[in-house]
Amino acid sequence: MPPLEKPQHTKPFKLRKSFATRKQEVAGIRSKFPTKIPVIIERYSREKYLPPLDKTKFLVPQELSMTQFVTVIRNRMSLMPSQAFYLLINNNGLASMSLTMAQVYKDHKDDDGFLYMTYASQEMFGNTRECVDAFKTSHVAD
Amino acid sequence: MAYAMGVREGLGGNERPRCRRLAYCHRVVMNSVSPSAAQYLGGGMQDDGLAPRPERQRTPPWEPRGHFGHGAGPEASREAPGEPDEVDRLKAKLMSAWNNVKYGWSVKSKTSFNKTSPLILLGHSFVLNHEDEVERFRLAFVSRLWLTYRREFPQLEGSTLTTDCGWGCMLRSGQMLLAQGLLVHLLPPGWTWPDAQQLTDVDMERRRTDTSRDGQAEATHRRVASWFGDHPQAPFGVHQLVELGKSSGKKAGDWYGPSIVAHILRKAVGKTAELHSLAVYVAQDCTVYKEDVVQLCDLSLSEGSPESGPGWKSVILLVPVRLGGESLNPAYIDCVKNILRLECCIGIIGGKPKHSLFFVGFQDEQLLYLDPHYCQAVVDVTQDNFPLESFHCSSPRKMNFNRMDPSCTIGFYAKSQKDFESLCSAVNVALSSSREKYPIFTFVEGQRQDYGLESQSGPSPNSPAHILPPGRPSRSGKRSSVDEFVFL
Repeated sequence: MPPLEKPQHTKPFKLRKSFATRKQEVAGIRSKFPTKIPVIIERYSREKYLPPLDKTKFLVPQELSMTQFVTVIRNRMSLMPSQAFYLLINNNGLASMSLTMAQVYKDHKDDDGFLYMTYASQEMFGNTRECVDAFKTSHVAD
Repeated sequence: MAYAMGVREGLGGNERPRCRRLAYCHRVVMNSVSPSAAQYLGGGMQDDGLAPRPERQRTPPWEPRGHFGHGAGPEASREAPGEPDEVDRLKAKLMSAWNNVKYGWSVKSKTSFNKTSPLILLGHSFVLNHEDEVERFRLAFVSRLWLTYRREFPQLEGSTLTTDCGWGCMLRSGQMLLAQGLLVHLLPPGWTWPDAQQLTDVDMERRRTDTSRDGQAEATHRRVASWFGDHPQAPFGVHQLVELGKSSGKKAGDWYGPSIVAHILRKAVGKTAELHSLAVYVAQDCTVYKEDVVQLCDLSLSEGSPESGPGWKSVILLVPVRLGGESLNPAYIDCVKNILRLECCIGIIGGKPKHSLFFVGFQDEQLLYLDPHYCQAVVDVTQDNFPLESFHCSSPRKMNFNRMDPSCTIGFYAKSQKDFESLCSAVNVALSSSREKYPIFTFVEGQRQDYGLESQSGPSPNSPAHILPPGRPSRSGKRSSVDEFVFL
């Protein structure tokens, strides 16, 4: 449990702590704050555009809607509204914005008791290769 | 090279021997030899990506144009079994390989279509079990506007680039999506480009005569194409789009994503004087706020604007999404299919990883797309009667859903307020088909609220009281026991 100011976590949370430790953490925090949801938010491993978050573990009011939650995270990162930002549950599915954290937690909490979310923007598209003009002579009919 | 279209991807498991293909090339019909695969002849760049020049040389005199070898018919007949065509074939192969390397064209062999299962193209369904149906599909497909890489256009401001080859594919896909919206917006329902037949039809003599031309529609079609011209004044040309992307931190030569492009398109439509009756709405966080759309479209609500008054703007709805982490979450495939089945859907911009494509439909487990990765010479669209051929594509292509990049933007169009209402319910039905627990995106009554805590006006009635302003450290009192948790 390195209390680093700037976490240099290369490993995902799940790999940094054993299942037993994680489970214990959840049990501890849930007993103190039964109406709050323990959420792990991590950056998608190949994310290139969104900044890293300074924290990984969040304790979120269960009545918070996903929209509100996303807004809080967006604000923490100082994103512009038009910037693409997606929270993927278990790195796979999109979370519906109208749901409350309690609903998402109920449906998707991990066996260790945490709710795992990954944030990602969108991929960019282009062709890495330099485009050499192969056809100086136009083959487009006209 | 006859665009035969065989059974390349093993659709239906009918791997037709290569020689077979030759024998059937003379007709634009499905191949009776392979019962499950319709033969789609007459396109061009299939197989070998496209091998323009060799094709052209072989085009017979009566063929109106040689744009990468449509005109499979005549060619095909030359390729009848026994005809020595190996040199051309080899040339074509080489050229296509070259193309592939330079422009990202995938070397594909034929595009084959199952002739029993429906082929969906932007909300229309085709079952290619009859020649007329194949023709109908081809017309519909070729009539879509196709925007590709261009070269030798006026230099992009702030750079020395005179081409978008190698970087502009997502902008091109975005142009195609917008172009499709504009065609639906401005042209009569079911419009097809009369000259589409020239691009595709083998049996032209027959068809050409009975084409009835609608002068006004043709003028509109040409006007829409000209808006995508590659010069700085074109409202939706690459120059303008690159300019509008600068506020998102992009510049000429950069790669673009489907979400950024959605916003660029929104700005471009908002800026142009050419379109007064059309607005673009871009969803944020996978949510369409219906009241915000109303605000955008209901002209009686737009005070101070010259357009103010009774009436309703048509709307293009763009929804940027991410359908998975590293790869497409397969649970969403059915949903994507159902969206493409909707008539209000104008396509999806996305692609394979790093390779943008404009998805316009599907058949079975394969997406149908238009590919911008083909570098064409610039066309001067300011000239009267500029050639339109390079703005249309005669060869439909497919790829498996599992190769789809999860990042994409889905497009819809609603002409009237009533259309918007029915769009919402139709899309909702399509969205609920996801095997994933939650829909890809949602429609929400009301307006988007700013939950930013700086402005206290935002939060809804049931909003929690304990949201801390961003960046504030956790409450110190709790730190001892749960030091790493951030309290929201």
